[in-house]
Amino acid sequence: MTETNMNLWQTLVYYFQYPFVQYAMIVGLLIALCSSLLGVTLVLKRFSFIGDGLSHVAFGAMAVAGVLGVSNDMTVVLPVTVISAVLLLRTGQNTKIKGDAAVAMISVGALAIGYLLMNLFSKSANISGDVCSTLFGSTSILTLTKPEVWLCIIMALIVITVFLLFYHKIFAITFDENFANATGVKANAYNLLIAVITALIIVLAMNLVGSLLISALIIFPALSAMRVFRSFRSVIICSAVISVICAAAGIILSILFSTPVGSTIVAADILVFFIFCGISAAISGGKKA
Amino acid sequence: MKKLSMILTAVLLTGLLTACGSKSEATETSGTSPETVPAVSETEAFLVPENPNADPNADVDLTTLSSTMVYSQVADMMYTPEKYDGKIIKASGLFSVYHDDMQDKNYYAILIQDATACCAQGIEFVWKGEHAYPEDYPEIGSEITVMGTFGTYEEDGATYTQLLDADVTVNE
Repeated sequence: MTETNMNLWQTLVYYFQYPFVQYAMIVGLLIALCSSLLGVTLVLKRFSFIGDGLSHVAFGAMAVAGVLGVSNDMTVVLPVTVISAVLLLRTGQNTKIKGDAAVAMISVGALAIGYLLMNLFSKSANISGDVCSTLFGSTSILTLTKPEVWLCIIMALIVITVFLLFYHKIFAITFDENFANATGVKANAYNLLIAVITALIIVLAMNLVGSLLISALIIFPALSAMRVFRSFRSVIICSAVISVICAAAGIILSILFSTPVGSTIVAADILVFFIFCGISAAISGGKKA
Repeated sequence: MKKLSMILTAVLLTGLLTACGSKSEATETSGTSPETVPAVSETEAFLVPENPNADPNADVDLTTLSSTMVYSQVADMMYTPEKYDGKIIKASGLFSVYHDDMQDKNYYAILIQDATACCAQGIEFVWKGEHAYPEDYPEIGSEITVMGTFGTYEEDGATYTQLLDADVTVNE
């Protein structure tokens, strides 16, 4: 047993000498941190599914960029995702098609159109591989280049800084937009900011877990933290810690045991969710007794 | 004023990510046929860390790594081929043949699948000595180990990678 553990540890230490493993860990942890910060707000605003919808939009946009032969697909993917995020988050409550229906419609619509375009016009030799890689993340996180790592670090720092700077405003519009408006907080402007940050995180997180699993990265840490903690601040801190630990565990397990990175991270998030449900039940039982 | 600053922040965030490029051509190397090698921006001297379990005759022994690590390492070889030029590479994978109808030429490769089994990286190899296909070659899909010298070549304006003077053994 000890020998096995030693071997696993030595293997892990050896793997961590590879630059691409170091890059994956840095980027993975940063994306997990950012998504968890925003996750609490999105869950409380009843927009848990927006990550899924936007990631499908990003998938569709990526397909369009491929068909158009755009070398830097981010120039198409990001603006389209941001615009979709703005439309969904800002108009969700005041349109004929309500929030959840709008998200569902855009989500499946973008996915279908994206896949259709890839099949009709793609020049790739391996369409199913490309689609699978985009949907499930594959090993994208382990094939990052140094400039991409720096991009993720810069973006993560911006997201964290924006979140900390506007923490009180985000708190206000998360719980009651009308009250926030009445007290002079420009709810629409902050909703726009949340929409843009959500879109940025979605596009970044596609590398880590793929477009089908992004929602899990956003909602599970927040929901786990809400099982045990009650205040906004403690839920956010706990959510961030859970998300970072699960991302690290997922990446380590996937490189040691050759499992898919994205789904391993999400499996870790699910496990922690059930553990926190158990802790919550134990706390409730203790109080009743 | 506050609203303006919020909108400016939002636009700045969007612009930053848009300007900084995408996942290069990572997904383009996931096919099973020889692929175009992407532009290289990194030229680090670091190759791979020392591994006591590795074959001492190989500079890079992929047979001692987990499949996720192998896939990532091969991706690195495709993105930065100049780092590995002239190095001895040892790898295991599924034997595959790609026939180019235009040139009526066969390309032999080992396929290395990722953990989701939906993507595969192919490493082309040229077997040392004279060998006729299909008589001398293993069955398509059989697991083989190849050890050869890493190199690149140009064809139809594209750069491809291959293992030259390769020793090929069929795994038991």
